Formats: sequence, C-alpha cells, structure tokens
Amino acid sequence: MSRTGGSAMARSKDKSVKLPDAGGWQDAIAVPAAIAGAILTTAGFLMAFLWAAPVNGAAVNGFEMIGDTVVTHQQLISQKIFYFHMPAAIVSFFSLAMAAFYGIRFLMTHEQRFDTCSRALMEIALLFVIMTMITGDLWTRFEWGVWWTWEPRLTTYLILMLIVIAYFVLRNAVDEPEKRATFASVVSIIALVDVPICFMVTRMIPSSVHPVVLREGGMSFDMGVTVLVVLIGMLCLGHALYRLRFRSLRLRERLEALKEILDERPMDNPFSGGLPAAVSPVAVHEARETGPKTVLRPNGEPRPNKGKIRSEYPTCLLR
Amino acid sequence: MNPILADIYSTVIPSAPYLIAAYALIWVALLVYVVFVVKGIKKTERQMAALEAAYERDSRATD
Repeated sequence: MSRTGGSAMARSKDKSVKLPDAGGWQDAIAVPAAIAGAILTTAGFLMAFLWAAPVNGAAVNGFEMIGDTVVTHQQLISQKIFYFHMPAAIVSFFSLAMAAFYGIRFLMTHEQRFDTCSRALMEIALLFVIMTMITGDLWTRFEWGVWWTWEPRLTTYLILMLIVIAYFVLRNAVDEPEKRATFASVVSIIALVDVPICFMVTRMIPSSVHPVVLREGGMSFDMGVTVLVVLIGMLCLGHALYRLRFRSLRLRERLEALKEILDERPMDNPFSGGLPAAVSPVAVHEARETGPKTVLRPNGEPRPNKGKIRSEYPTCLLR
Repeated sequence: MNPILADIYSTVIPSAPYLIAAYALIWVALLVYVVFVVKGIKKTERQMAALEAAYERDSRATD
C-alpha cells in the first residue's frame, strides 16, 4: 500500500470519518482550561498545606494541644506530596486511554490525523508519568529511605514509563509514515493494557507496601476535596497542553505537506530550482554533502528522486 | 522545645526538602514541556515565514 494510498482508501471506504483538527470547541476551551488549571492547582496546593489535616504517624509518648486539637502522633508532612502525586498518575492514565483510543481509530481508518492525536496524547502521558515518578520517588526516599524498590506498583508503573518511552524511540526509528503510525498505534494500545494492571496490582498482591487509600480507611472530607480540586486542575492543564501540542504538530505537518507539494510540482511553482535554502538549511546542507537520497517505495523499488529534499509527509495532509 | 512537641514535629523538618523538591520539580517538568512545544511552534513559524518570503520574492521576479 502506498503512503498516500492508505488514506485515500480509507476515505473511499468511509467518507463520514470526522477528523480531529485544530480549532473547534476543543481549542476554544483550551485557554480557559489552562487558566482554570493554574487556578485550581494553586488552590489545591494552598488547601493541601492550609486546610487538609496532616496525617498521623507513629504515636508519641504523651500529647500536646496544637491549636484546639489534641495531638498524640507524629505529623507526616511528607504525605502532602500525595495531593499532586495521585492526580498526576490519574491524568497519565487518562491520557494513555485517549492515546490508545486514537491509536485504534488510526488502525480502523488509516487516517494520519488520528496518529497525530495519539502522538500528542502520548507526550502528555509521558509528561504526567514523569511528574508521578518524581513525586513518588521523593516520597519513597523520605518514607522508605531508598530511591527505588522493586515494589509491585512501582515496578508496573516503571514498565508503563518504559513502554511510553519505547513509543517515542520506535517513532524515531521507523521512517515510513504509515508503518510508523501503525506500530505506534499498537504500542499505545499495549501501554493502555498496562494501566489496569498498574492500578490493580496493589489490590491483587496484598503484600504490596505501596499505600492504598481505600485499604487504609479512605480519605477524610478535607483530603478528598483537596485531591479532587487538584485532579480537576491537572485534567484542565493536560487538556490545554494537549491542544497546544496538537496544534503545533498539525502546523508542522501542513508546512511539510506544502513544501512537498511545491517541491514535487516544479513546473507550476516558482521554486522550480527546489525549495529556498532558508526553509531547511540543515536538510539543504545534508543534500549537498551526501547527494540525492534514494527513497524506496513500499514495494522496494527506488522512488524517482530529482535530487531535491523530500518531505516525509503525504500531500493528503493538506486537506 | 517541649520534648513531646519535638517528637510530634520530628518528621516535619527532615521531610521538607523532599516535599519542596517534589512540588518544584512538578512545575519544572511542566515548564520544560511548554518551552519545548513553544520552541517547536516558533521554528515552524520561521519556516513558514521563509516560505512565504521566498514565494513573494519569486512571484515578483516572474511578474
């Protein structure tokens, strides 16, 4: 199947496929979402330290009145990390679920646009996975005295992070766009498979020492509200970042498609001698150094190359 | 300090650096990602501007 043939075939099969694009209601709410995310996470941060009661640690040999409260235990201030740790993990799971959804959509339709959505969401997932790992690891270092332990929840989440990193390594390793998108979609689905495992592992393995909120009596009202505020704020931030990244990727794809069209129609366009050097100085330099690149068609035959720089994006992306 | 109060607060000060680092690194990660995306957009805009400028120049030359 040719690089553009997949999309063309998909269009002829199903003309009713609605492609996600920049603009529309999702972008209309992106800026309010970013503002709401900043406000809610800041509010959540203040609530975590000023409103939510500290969690009790080991009992002390006596009691003291602090404010109007009788305190008989050590106060675990490190638990405050939880208020951003758990919401970040939930947003990472949600992003992975959406990335897999668009991965499945790509496999069904072979429309490049769904792959773009999936890629942007995988980046957001990686960002929130890193945030979860940072917060979790700092808590682990203080509470357990180690930077890392092969505890089931930590191990499954590490595997999840490695799968997400592997997704981007794979994308960079495959040149052919349709094959790259297909492989990437499959990896995004594999990452989603690890999500319920990661979520449930502390329940499936009772010896797991990772704290489980429900197992430890649930959250008090003040803790629950604080987590909810931060979670909504992080979801808003995640949405705003996703739309920003999606717009950025779409803009680049359209630019590459435009360059390819101008490059492949030398009779019709003013750049009959090739694209202006300013468009891609590095690529021009490489082309001059190494000579024309041999681009292979999917069937293995060399594609006619006029010695010009070729974009990897099919022209159908201009739609 | 009262020894019971000292015991109550015994984990507060030692954990503070980890707590501060956790919150700071969250915002650093977010900021780095935003900078990464914005740099990508600016690069694309520069390429778009170069393409437009070249198109203008060549259009004038052919007229």
